[in-house]
Amino acid sequence: MDFQPVLTLLCILVILAPATLFALLGLAALFAHQLSENTVSRATRVAVIVGLLASISILISMLSTGKHHVQLDLGHWVILSDEHFHFNFKILFDRLSVPFAILIFSLCGTIGGFANSYLHRDPGYRRFFFLFSMFLMGMIATCLAGTIETLFAGWEMVGLSSTLLVAYFQERPSPVRNGARVWTIYRVADAAFLIAAVALHHHNGQGDFDGLAGVGDWPEGLATLPSDQALFIGLMLLIAAAGKSALVPFSGWLPRAMEGPTPSSAIFYGALSVHLGAFLLLRASPILEESAFVSAAVLVVGVVTAIFAALTGRVQTDIKSALAYASLTQVGIIVAEIGLGYRLLPLAHIMGHACLRTLQLLRAPTLIHDYHEMENAIGSHLSNDRSFWRRALSARSRAWFYRFGQQRAYLDAFLNEFIVRPFLSIFRMFDTWERRWTDFLSGGESRVSDRVMPTVEPIEKTL
Amino acid sequence: MIEHAAHFLPAQKPIDMFVHHNTLHAFEDYPFCQGVVEGAKLYGAHPYLPEELYRKQLKRGRILREDLAKVLLDDLGEDADTLVALLGTRYNLRLAMLPHPVQFGSDAELRWLLAETDTLRRFREDTPLEIRTAMIRETRHLVMRDFRNSDRIPKNQMERRIKETLDLVFERFDSSRIEYWEDDTWEAYCLQLLWEVCRAGIQSIQRDSRDSFVQVIRHRDWMLEVTGEDTDLLVHELLITFCAAYVDQGIANWVLPRRDEGFFTAFREMYRQSWGPPNHWLHGLKEILDDISENQISPLDSIERSLDALGVARADREAYLQKSLLALRGWAGMIWQTERETDRVVHPSKPGSLIEFLAVRLILDRLALKEVAKTRLGFNGPLSELMRTRASRQSHPSGPSVDQQAFVVFQIAQILGWKPMGLFSISKSQWGQVQSEIETFSSMERRRIYQLAFERRYRMETLDAIVIRNRKQLPAPPAAKFQVVFCIDEREESFRRHLEECCPEAETFGAAGFFSVAMYYRGAADARYIPLCPVVITPKHYVREVVRDSHEHAHNLRERWRRWIGTASFSFHRGSRSFALGALLASILGPLASFPLVLRVLFPRFTAQMRKIVGQYVEPPPATKLLIERTTAEPGESAGQIGFSIPEMADIVDRLLTDVGLVGRMTRLVIIAGHGSSSLNNPHESAYNCGACGGARGGPNARALAHLANDPRVRDLLKERGLFIPDDTVFVGAYHNTCDDSMLYFDLDQIPASHKSDFEFARAAMDGARARNAHERCRRFESAPLNLSLDAALRHVESRSEDLAQVRPEYCHASNAVCFVGRRSRTRGLFMDRRSFLVSYDPTSDRNEGAILARILQAAIPVCAGINLEYYFSNIDSNNWGCGTKLPHNIASLIGVMDGAASDLRTGLSSQMVEIHEPVRLLFIIETKPEVMLRIMEANAEIRRLCGNEWVQLALLDPDSPTIHHFRNGQFEAYHPASRELPEVEHSIDWYRGWRDHLGYAIVIPSDDATHSTGMTRTNKR
Repeated sequence: MDFQPVLTLLCILVILAPATLFALLGLAALFAHQLSENTVSRATRVAVIVGLLASISILISMLSTGKHHVQLDLGHWVILSDEHFHFNFKILFDRLSVPFAILIFSLCGTIGGFANSYLHRDPGYRRFFFLFSMFLMGMIATCLAGTIETLFAGWEMVGLSSTLLVAYFQERPSPVRNGARVWTIYRVADAAFLIAAVALHHHNGQGDFDGLAGVGDWPEGLATLPSDQALFIGLMLLIAAAGKSALVPFSGWLPRAMEGPTPSSAIFYGALSVHLGAFLLLRASPILEESAFVSAAVLVVGVVTAIFAALTGRVQTDIKSALAYASLTQVGIIVAEIGLGYRLLPLAHIMGHACLRTLQLLRAPTLIHDYHEMENAIGSHLSNDRSFWRRALSARSRAWFYRFGQQRAYLDAFLNEFIVRPFLSIFRMFDTWERRWTDFLSGGESRVSDRVMPTVEPIEKTL
Repeated sequence: MIEHAAHFLPAQKPIDMFVHHNTLHAFEDYPFCQGVVEGAKLYGAHPYLPEELYRKQLKRGRILREDLAKVLLDDLGEDADTLVALLGTRYNLRLAMLPHPVQFGSDAELRWLLAETDTLRRFREDTPLEIRTAMIRETRHLVMRDFRNSDRIPKNQMERRIKETLDLVFERFDSSRIEYWEDDTWEAYCLQLLWEVCRAGIQSIQRDSRDSFVQVIRHRDWMLEVTGEDTDLLVHELLITFCAAYVDQGIANWVLPRRDEGFFTAFREMYRQSWGPPNHWLHGLKEILDDISENQISPLDSIERSLDALGVARADREAYLQKSLLALRGWAGMIWQTERETDRVVHPSKPGSLIEFLAVRLILDRLALKEVAKTRLGFNGPLSELMRTRASRQSHPSGPSVDQQAFVVFQIAQILGWKPMGLFSISKSQWGQVQSEIETFSSMERRRIYQLAFERRYRMETLDAIVIRNRKQLPAPPAAKFQVVFCIDEREESFRRHLEECCPEAETFGAAGFFSVAMYYRGAADARYIPLCPVVITPKHYVREVVRDSHEHAHNLRERWRRWIGTASFSFHRGSRSFALGALLASILGPLASFPLVLRVLFPRFTAQMRKIVGQYVEPPPATKLLIERTTAEPGESAGQIGFSIPEMADIVDRLLTDVGLVGRMTRLVIIAGHGSSSLNNPHESAYNCGACGGARGGPNARALAHLANDPRVRDLLKERGLFIPDDTVFVGAYHNTCDDSMLYFDLDQIPASHKSDFEFARAAMDGARARNAHERCRRFESAPLNLSLDAALRHVESRSEDLAQVRPEYCHASNAVCFVGRRSRTRGLFMDRRSFLVSYDPTSDRNEGAILARILQAAIPVCAGINLEYYFSNIDSNNWGCGTKLPHNIASLIGVMDGAASDLRTGLSSQMVEIHEPVRLLFIIETKPEVMLRIMEANAEIRRLCGNEWVQLALLDPDSPTIHHFRNGQFEAYHPASRELPEVEHSIDWYRGWRDHLGYAIVIPSDDATHSTGMTRTNKR
């Protein structure tokens, strides 16, 4: 019996389910149609369950048939045969993407169920679920992408929805400010990604991963790039991954992403978003194998991140930050594992870590309750400071490391002082020149907007 | 000076001991209406709801027009009839301004409004049709008759002015075809004319320069105004992390170095180290701190120096310091609390921490200001000169512009039908009058009137209901078979009502939920003693729960198990966040976490039941007893000192029984029911517990009291004092969980065999009431279908309390509005919608000039007012006075919640807790005579302050007749009810079924066959 049509159908379902959900919620919002909470939650549930069942079936069929590589072409969009250039959407089911898709569906399903009651009656309920569906769509697209363009499309959707979820409470200034900050870092990562994609195209004329992998399925693939190319592309991809996974030196955005409601925090550094960089590195692993230098760089970034996060996490005094840095520690270790050349180990590590951390994050607000229970069980106060470090370090250096951790290794401060500040002063200088020039041309003050003050609604509307 | 300023900091305790208090406690010396406005100014918050919300209540009928009219009349007194220009009385003008929203905006907005919208072409939608027609007709007539088609030369200046204005407006229309103008054109013409008249009128008056009131402002406010850069952003980022580390009660693995030496020293030593932060603005910090360290500068001296450096004048210093403290008020308040209330936290702060905090804050302020001044203003001089360099825009507060004022008059003219031609004849001084009249009835004033009207509506409903209920002869309930003493909490109102409904032989009482047993208590499985009494009392006595000797072995075994599990889960909790162990746990145990994850989130109730089954094997054995009797003289924590002496026990029982009036008619069974609440993922869990137990669960108090009252030696002593407890009366302690409506009874094996059947009878009745109570509560939860059966309702509330994703496990005190102090017989059978605290008090047995009443009110008024006012403020302005929405909350330092990773500590109640609340001041209805109450107020300063300054409303119900006196303007006035009838129903459910919103009063009269029910029957009505 031929399984092929069934398998194809299943593959289509996996991508179609979140896409339909995204389209449904998006179109409803676009036409200002207020879906009821019930409809939204039911639609989400159906989409996730369909997707989950389909991907599990694919897994089963792969295991039973031993066929580890299924591709689905969604059409060639640009073909320039003279330049050996083509551009197409392609989805890919292999030993990396299928488990990852299952993970995404099950965690998104659980978090969606949680958010359904958590955000009940919140004025932003629909907005949340729309962004959530965009996130799901983006994650699935990223994970199943067979070409680097497809991956980039998903990557962008994840970035945009994440940022908007950070800035979910748009009526307060700090979520918006922090959302903008996350967005900036994401853009830097995206730029690196884009450069990598262009370079790959330039060299291969295509962005297909299986072309890239040359011979063999993931994780046995071997790249067909010359190693100098691999070095450049690999480093660019590393920057992209570092931005997305909050690796050093981009770690500053991680605690800032906490401004959204608890379930969206759980998605970010608990479960999915934060692992996406590691996923990218896994996907591009043939390139890493081409260049020892890139592998070494990945290893170093991973180890440094893990150490930094472990140290910082020890001094955090609020539960969500503590969990965020705990997450980052593990992500650092996962990245280091990838740098060391492991493939299946980091995948398993991601899976386990994502589940564990999501559970911990979802129940973060119940910490006081838990502490009381543990305290009562143990029969005394929960004591700290009995760690290895206390014995290993002198009081002085402990104090120094304490400050180092509390200030989050000054990563943000360095970025601010050495990148943002010069950048700003250059553009302020340009601004001054422009103003002088326009003032000169108009023979007076040329910018009316300077005089308009932002209006702040006064508490008492005076009459 | 600093202590005085600290008075204004939020007084919230650590969040695991949440106690409700008046958010504006510091302003109670002012009358309410003045206090809230002063408080609002200080904290930058709203004193009342926004006008549009009041208008919404007006539309929903929660405020009636007659309330507005009456309140306005009362408020104006004799001024009501004052004529404003020629346009009507002041009363009419104000009444017209209330229900109609008057738009107001900046000049730019206004220009846009006039140019781009229909404002100058169509009348407002709320203009009455007849005013509109009359206005157009008259204008048209006059224009056509006198100015368009007559050749006469304007006689006087007024006519000239009219002519000029008309011509001006004509230019915008095609005046050659004036005869054929449509109605629409005339409408536009009329409006434009009106607009021009109003503008000319306002322009004509010399606006008195509004006295710009000088306020002390922080340099930061000035800087924000001038450069748009907020120095507090810089300062707070550093300060918040440091404060959190300083008061941390155990989240971080590493404790802040040198925390015990105080805030100042810890900060100084930490930031004096080399290789400090690279931030530009912090460059001078090490220098300053080195200087402080070398010259041994104390925190107070440092504050002094900072103020000098900032150039704050001596006279302004207090205000300046106050503002600086309030800039990060959540954290500052918590430092203040941890340094003063040392018995409620594990790691108290060193005395003087708040001063040290302020010293550090001012140093950081200086640095941030210096940096911003340099980069944005190019200013390098001393900071004391800073504010002189450039005038802030705010220093010349300009009043509203002519257009803005005219636009308001323009809108009111449309509502009241002031015709353009009429307005021409108003003199200059009259225009001034109109203008000032409108200005004095500002938005703040209108909101005050609305608030008073809002309160009046519910007060009238309540007082009417009480009068009608007491006029009506209800059939006397059958002789009581058992009695239950509940907490006064308004959540127990429905429980008591349902209990009486399904078992008329039950009699209920209400007493403050610690039942006069003030103690430090430690349960068999607890790690430490916690105080179980109102926060104003510091208990002297310690009580422990221990396992009975016969179960000693099992207990020890289970204790070991518990300790092992506890240690393991704590290590897991920690380990999963660490480096190597974390990696191991994540990759090996991680996938297993998906089971609890999915189960807990998607099937909360099932998971909870599973946990309970497993938990049975490690919990302490159910057979425990209280160590409550003391043998040595002095109470204390060590072995022999635990507990109360027999005379102390007798005092406690005496106090409770006489307070509630349970004297001389005791039934065979008396149940004492404390209460508490359990919920998950709820940092504010403790706020849902019993307020009279200091935010803890009141079960142990009920158990302790039952224990004391059952003691024959105590009874003998009481008999000597004249309080007789019959020998066949048995007290049983119980605990009511208000979240899942479960009921737990203590020491059942102590009930004599003769009373078993009495207890079973009572338990069955209580079970019936539980389900009904759950059912009534479910009507408020939108996620519970309205057609739930009783059992399904019980299941629903059970799953709520176990659901991780549930942000509204229960609505807690939301919607509280009334506190009735008196005999239950006067409110029994009245449906009060869970909005009324019920305090039992029997005026007939209180012979001694209200001595019992005085001691009840001393606790009841501040506690209930505290709850009510905290809900009031958190509801009025959730972001400033409450802690905003719960969704992004993040537990910081185990002591409070922040929004996200680094915000000020959020105090007050979350918007999910207060969303169904109606912000009205608590109405006390006390069953006593005016002269008794006046005497009590005379003798007790706190009661006098709260009642006299109207932070609560007060009314008295005459003990002998259904007449009510309402306390107004310092005296009691007889109250005349406005209605005579109340709806009558057979069961509460007949009244509340199918309704989610607030409900009015109703009388529940059980029919005859219902009286026979034993409480066992659960009528599953759908």
